[in-house]
Amino acid sequence: MEEKILEILEEHCEEALEYEGDNMMEDGVIDSFTVINVVSDLEEEFDIEIDAKYVVAENFRNKEAIIALVQKLMEE
Amino acid sequence: MQLISYSFVILWGFVFALYYLVPKKGQWYVLLGASLLFNCIGLRGFPLGLLLTGITTYGCGMYLGKKLDQEKEALKQCTDREEKKAVKAVFQKKRKKVQTLTIVFNLGLLLFYKYAVVAVPLVERATGSGAGFLERVIMPLGISFYTLTAIGYIVDAGRENCAVETDLLKILLFLAYFPSVTQGPFTRFKQMKEEFEKAHVFQYDRMLRGIQRFVWGAFKKLVIADRIGIFVDRVYSVDVASVPGGIFACATVLYMLQLYADFSGYIDMAAGVSETLDITLPDNFRRPYFARSVAEFWRRWHITLGNWFKDYVMFSFVMSGTGRKIGKACKNKWNGLGRQVAPVIGTMLVWFFTGLWHGRTVNYMLWGLYYGVIMSVSLLLEPKYAVWKEKLSIKDGKLWSLFCMVRTWGIVFLADVLIRSGSLAQAGEIFTSLVTRLHIGSLLSAEITSYGLGKYDFLLLLMALLIWLVVSVSEERGLDVRAVIAGKPMVVRWICYYGIVLLVLVTGIYGGSYDTAAFMYQSF
Repeated sequence: MEEKILEILEEHCEEALEYEGDNMMEDGVIDSFTVINVVSDLEEEFDIEIDAKYVVAENFRNKEAIIALVQKLMEE
Repeated sequence: MQLISYSFVILWGFVFALYYLVPKKGQWYVLLGASLLFNCIGLRGFPLGLLLTGITTYGCGMYLGKKLDQEKEALKQCTDREEKKAVKAVFQKKRKKVQTLTIVFNLGLLLFYKYAVVAVPLVERATGSGAGFLERVIMPLGISFYTLTAIGYIVDAGRENCAVETDLLKILLFLAYFPSVTQGPFTRFKQMKEEFEKAHVFQYDRMLRGIQRFVWGAFKKLVIADRIGIFVDRVYSVDVASVPGGIFACATVLYMLQLYADFSGYIDMAAGVSETLDITLPDNFRRPYFARSVAEFWRRWHITLGNWFKDYVMFSFVMSGTGRKIGKACKNKWNGLGRQVAPVIGTMLVWFFTGLWHGRTVNYMLWGLYYGVIMSVSLLLEPKYAVWKEKLSIKDGKLWSLFCMVRTWGIVFLADVLIRSGSLAQAGEIFTSLVTRLHIGSLLSAEITSYGLGKYDFLLLLMALLIWLVVSVSEERGLDVRAVIAGKPMVVRWICYYGIVLLVLVTGIYGGSYDTAAFMYQSF
């Protein structure tokens, strides 16, 4: 699963893979368009629905946070 | 009551002393009392609008909390995913209904105060009719700010992104917190609740840093913004045909700095006051004029407003049922570009509302549309930039960065002509004069000193801007300027402190017919 998420991230925003900070959105690594596209691909790939309440800076602060979010939603 | 006034400094002093004297658990009551007092003194009356927003926000939060608990109980009884989905949908519908009602009520209050209370008495006076009831209605302080802040809480509570508050008084403090109530920054309940509830111990260093930040804010406001304001107001009030385009260009560049100095000055003062009370407010500016694109500019300018619109308008729309339907339909039809339709609509919505929030004129609507189009186009074309740069053999470097910065200034410059002009017609005339009658030499002639600022005022302004630039460059390089100064020998340290205080006291714009303390963003 992790690999697939990283692939999606790579497709939309390569920088996100190398980013080591903890606020990708504020640091301008990932913009809102990219977030929306990543969310759309994650939903399709993992058959989950990522509600607006999950689309917050905290869940997109780095690649690890995105992986954790998908894991959490798949377990629900 | 303005942040730069004797009455505010007295209030701040009393609050500061009392705050560290009372038991730690009671400190937030001191803040609440000060915030209500600030409102009452500022309004010379009772903040009824604020109270109504507070009560409805609190009530909505309590309802959401109850329904969320009931939903969790109901979910425990579910056996499969589909059943869970159905239960969630039922509770979500109930929550949305109450959230929508509360938001509509509060937006209605905002519209009532912003439009009816301002417009109806004007009409009544002009026509000599009407009961004059609205003449007596008091406009609440910072209604645009606290209404959006309240909406943020209502949405966050429904999304479980913050805990539901069971104490009405804490909601009132969150909305009315006195240093930031009039102009922000926009705060989130989760963060502010932590700040208000923790035990605050007096720290000499923190107090000193807070006062330094307050004085720095006053420097930007009184020495820079209000000085520039004299020139800009004068230039923009004369007949466009009688002024060379070069003077308008100069006035608009200065206006860009005035807006920044005025608003970030206020934020520095609000953050400084909060720092003395051991409360941290979110950053609202990160040196926006160093931005290399418009998108970056808006990530650095009024950060908390941008985040508010992104979280509560952009993502809410794109992730909503309608947004998803549009996104899916367009993606199926046009694939690559089609998937960008919903985000583009979201961006345009954000900028439409940003324009509307800033002003009620056509100029502001166009200003919002202008940024919406630029942001959408630049985000859509972003993947192509790397290709174009390679084709044109453009290398990243200082020169390229400078070019990108200047390009961003140019885009902001055009937008600022639009919002500074009194009308669309005036903006049109100014744009024409910038092209047809630039007469750049006028900037070096005596004419430049005939708009309220003399030679020495310009020299003083230049010096103040240089100080600001040095501080900004240092901060951009990651330096904590206050910590650097604190680490210097005592003589150097106190020369810096007294120097800024003296500059504010001696060269600040005070008194006379010019309204020194009115902050520009207060009118938004």
